[in-house]
Amino acid sequence: MNGYLCAGAATLALLAGAAAAQELKFAPGEDVRFNWASYDGFAEAYNLDGQSITIFGPWRGEDQVLVESVLAYFTAATGVTVSYSSSENYEQQIVIDTQAGSPPDIAILPQPGLIGDLAAKGLLVPLGDDTGAWLRDNYAAGESWVGLGTYAGADGAKALYAFPYKIDVKSLVWYVPENFEDAGYEVPGTMEDLRALTEEIVADGGTPWCIGLGSGGATGWPATDWVEDMLLRTAPPDVYDRWVTNDLPFTDPAITGAIKEFGWFARNNAFVDGGAAAVATTDFRDSPKGLFASPPKCYMHHQASFIPSFFPEGTELGRDADFFYMPAYAGKDLGKPVLGAGTLAMITRDGEAARAFIAFLKTPIAHEIWMAQSGFLTPFKAVNPEAYANAALKKQGEILLNATTFRFDGSDLMPGKIGAGAFWTGMVDYAGGKSAEDVAAEIQAEWDAIK
Amino acid sequence: MLPGTRSPLAWVVHLSVVLLVLLWTLPTAGLLVSSFRDKDQIAVSGWWTALSTSSQNLVFRAPAGEGEEIVDGRYVLTGSVLEGPGGGRVSAFGFSSRAPAAFAPGETAELKDGVRLVVTGDGAFELSGAESFAGTRGQRIFYTAEVPPRFTTANYANVLTAAGLGRSFLNSMTVAVPATVIPILIAAFAAYALAWMRFPGRALLIAAVVGLLVVPLQMSLIPLLKVYNSVGQAFGFDPKSYIGIWLAHTGFGLPLAIYLLRNYMAGLPREVMETARVDGATDFQIFTRIVLPLSFPALASFAIFQFLWTWNDLLVALVFLGPQDDKLVLTGRLVNLLGSRGGDWEILAASAFVSIAVPLLVFFSMQKFLVRGLLAGSVKGG
Amino acid sequence: MEQLWTALFTIVAGIAGAALYFWGSNWLLDRVFPAHAGDRSAASRNIARAALIRPWLFLGPALIALGLYLVYPVFASIWLSFHDRGGQGFVGLANYRWLVSDPGFRESLFNNFLWLLMVPAASTFLGLVAAALTDRIAWGNLARSLIFMPMAISFVGAAVIWKFVYDYRGEGSEQIGLLNAVVVAFGGVPQAWIAVPFWNNFFLMVILIWIQTGFAMVILSAALRGIPEETIEAAVLDGASGIQIFLRIMVPQIWGTIAVVWTTITITVLKVFDIVLAMTNGQWNSQVLANLMFDWMFRGGGDFGRGATIAIVIMVLVVPIMVWNIRNARAEAGDR
Repeated sequence: MNGYLCAGAATLALLAGAAAAQELKFAPGEDVRFNWASYDGFAEAYNLDGQSITIFGPWRGEDQVLVESVLAYFTAATGVTVSYSSSENYEQQIVIDTQAGSPPDIAILPQPGLIGDLAAKGLLVPLGDDTGAWLRDNYAAGESWVGLGTYAGADGAKALYAFPYKIDVKSLVWYVPENFEDAGYEVPGTMEDLRALTEEIVADGGTPWCIGLGSGGATGWPATDWVEDMLLRTAPPDVYDRWVTNDLPFTDPAITGAIKEFGWFARNNAFVDGGAAAVATTDFRDSPKGLFASPPKCYMHHQASFIPSFFPEGTELGRDADFFYMPAYAGKDLGKPVLGAGTLAMITRDGEAARAFIAFLKTPIAHEIWMAQSGFLTPFKAVNPEAYANAALKKQGEILLNATTFRFDGSDLMPGKIGAGAFWTGMVDYAGGKSAEDVAAEIQAEWDAIK
Repeated sequence: MLPGTRSPLAWVVHLSVVLLVLLWTLPTAGLLVSSFRDKDQIAVSGWWTALSTSSQNLVFRAPAGEGEEIVDGRYVLTGSVLEGPGGGRVSAFGFSSRAPAAFAPGETAELKDGVRLVVTGDGAFELSGAESFAGTRGQRIFYTAEVPPRFTTANYANVLTAAGLGRSFLNSMTVAVPATVIPILIAAFAAYALAWMRFPGRALLIAAVVGLLVVPLQMSLIPLLKVYNSVGQAFGFDPKSYIGIWLAHTGFGLPLAIYLLRNYMAGLPREVMETARVDGATDFQIFTRIVLPLSFPALASFAIFQFLWTWNDLLVALVFLGPQDDKLVLTGRLVNLLGSRGGDWEILAASAFVSIAVPLLVFFSMQKFLVRGLLAGSVKGG
Repeated sequence: MEQLWTALFTIVAGIAGAALYFWGSNWLLDRVFPAHAGDRSAASRNIARAALIRPWLFLGPALIALGLYLVYPVFASIWLSFHDRGGQGFVGLANYRWLVSDPGFRESLFNNFLWLLMVPAASTFLGLVAAALTDRIAWGNLARSLIFMPMAISFVGAAVIWKFVYDYRGEGSEQIGLLNAVVVAFGGVPQAWIAVPFWNNFFLMVILIWIQTGFAMVILSAALRGIPEETIEAAVLDGASGIQIFLRIMVPQIWGTIAVVWTTITITVLKVFDIVLAMTNGQWNSQVLANLMFDWMFRGGGDFGRGATIAIVIMVLVVPIMVWNIRNARAEAGDR
């Protein structure tokens, strides 16, 4: 916000600014799990009292409380007033705001495809080579993260525009350990076992899976995770890489094969709670509740690491619910692929305070504060793994470390119109009974149309 | 009053209206009932069963050793699966998810390792075993309970205490009231000019207004934001302000306002105005003293509509006011709530009702006003 | 508390500013061309001059607002429709060529056509019936309030309300959606209503009809009350029945209003967006033009060229309504 504001709005905005000052969640210097030296060092290097920045991100509700608790340290260290905001339709909001020339200072987005669009339109500020070098040195598998943040700008030149911060692991299957014990099921170690278990549960009179693709305007996305996970388990990673750039068309047998692998689970009335017809209409937030019904409506649920927020109140991870790694085919020798996602921070309006914020993300403390509270994984090697809030997070961290292949969510890498549009719709159609070939042809046609 | 009120037809009329009203209120009634239901019941049974006793399958986890006593050399845990008020009866229980209703109340279930479990009809359970329960996960007790209807205001308490709701309420008010009054004021004058003043290009203007009715709002967003930003930069103020959103709502609401008001005003009897004109009244006088009072019903109707639209609007508010916490309107706040709590039907129901409370209030209080206006006006149009 | 005062102050200031303009400009006009000053010819000349200017004073703010908020964006859109996704490079007719070959566009056009056929007709008809029926009974006001109520409900609210109606649970489990419960009670098989291609259009339309009927009813009921008592009394004396009076006397009298209501709802239908976005987002073949436009405009980085092209199509679709209205306006002007 520049200068003074007009009439009434001014007073309102000032009032809000005063309310933004937040207490620090963990008192600096006290808890030994945290790297307070990095905090003190950062606070000494930056003194930007009186400046302010706006940050626009995807986190709302409880996540917003968490991110604001991290931002409070940035404010305490630098004196910069931070105004964080989000919106249910943040993808549209950021397009509207940047395009119209009223961007936030910092935007944080989970879709590399969308970031690529913004970069190509010249709406992002390059972060510089030193940040690229920093990522390469300090993030595990640094080169892949640099690649993820590098896009072609308006002039076509490639540069680092986005800084990865906060990772989610997607290749997880959630289950209730006691239900498995009651029925005598074992956690499957291979995809063959998982398929056998699925059939065994049906033979025992149960329903193995809860699958819900509903998500309002984004209905269909949970299926894209399934397909990507299956693709990484049926084809080498370079097929995946060529697929997300459409070097390999959607209609390739490898892709339709992965779609059909998903269909094996989701299009069988006996395999999913409510039958195949319920898959596309069940809300993804409602879907995991079937695990906890009595008798259980299903035994397994494939979803990313964020899903416990939607478990029934009072559910304790490790006791009431747990997860296992979505296994790979023993017969295919593709190692242990892991699908993940994450958010990337970028500067949408250059300034001293915005630069300072990117520098803040390079401190361990910016990661540890969130790690210590809830659902936050990071590839930053310098953070203290002891800071993870619970055993479940630590276990997810291990899955991330044990991965022989890590790939970023493909639907997020594709152009927004495909990855956040045609692919979703296609998956909904597929769940509704269309053939994989037809669906793939339609998605490919749409992709051709935007080239 | 029309004729036929006393004929048998009257019954048909009454019945059809009852049917119509029922059809129209049933969906909303469902939401209202749901919003007061217990969150455990809302997602498992239809709202129309709210008044009947429902049979629910529930799970209770016995404590992991806390409060256990040693009786006759066995560790014994006691308590009730039916915690809290409300009560109900246990009609069956079990210890495995495979057979959650294997035992009748009072029967003794034999678990592995010699552990025994009894649950009685009033919910009391006794779990006993040779070893301490400390260090275990806590035995799960599955039970089927006949739960009497339970209504609660907890859902509302939950939604209303969500941070920032009060502020959002004020924000919505600050947006909606001027965004209702300003377009009416502007549209009334314009409608009068288009209905009763003679000037070149009038028909063309009317046509233009009709054409503008269909301009999709979403299309205007980016060109307008660009204008706002350049104006904001030129004069050094924040382009996302209340004045900006009032004017935006005014612009978007004007075509319908002018269109409706003009049609209404054009239907007013010409003689009244001719007489006034002969008496030497100017257009401004005719407008303020004759047309405006006569058009009151139309003005009131449009005022209600415009208020509802601006109050219920989300898109324009997000774009022209922004999603920042201090400027977020009520619909925005609730949509955020729905996003983060989308799977919780009780939150959905209660927050949806909170969002429609003000419009309903405005509507029901304004309607009397509206009807009075309709009856008071001796001359009406169509 | 402080925020409350600021809010109140801004509200009062905003309204007062608008009021001041109209009063002030008229006062000024009367001062510059006084109607009662000087000799007779000067006065009448002044009146004539004022009459030339006054319409534009009355229309001024409306024209400026319309120009900025609607006309300018229309031209900006026409310009954009000939440009690429970022709105920078000129691409000629490429967007239009793409549009005619796009299956998504054809699907939306077809669905929009269905909506245009169904919603205005159903809403106006039901609104007229409701207005006529409630007019004759003692508790008509209450009934009208209840039918009009959906109009007051936000789309967020409406989406949740209808979620409780259309909800689908697998066969065998207890349905919590009203419609499926009814179907099951009559021995039918539960359906995922909003996911059945083609028919789901109608289930979405029901929501808009549910909302718009109240609007139609309020306007039409005002019109019905405006019919002079004498005409009806005359018909009663002639021995006409209630239904005859309604069809032969009342409906023709309010034909103009019915047309207004129909037009207004038609236009709402062309812009229908929130319901589709909230319920299906165009999936299961339920896409409509306005949502398709929104999709291209803002989703996935945005393609302003194509989004604008679809907007132009929506505007072109309304041309017949425009022409018809212009004719009406001309006819009225002739009467006067």
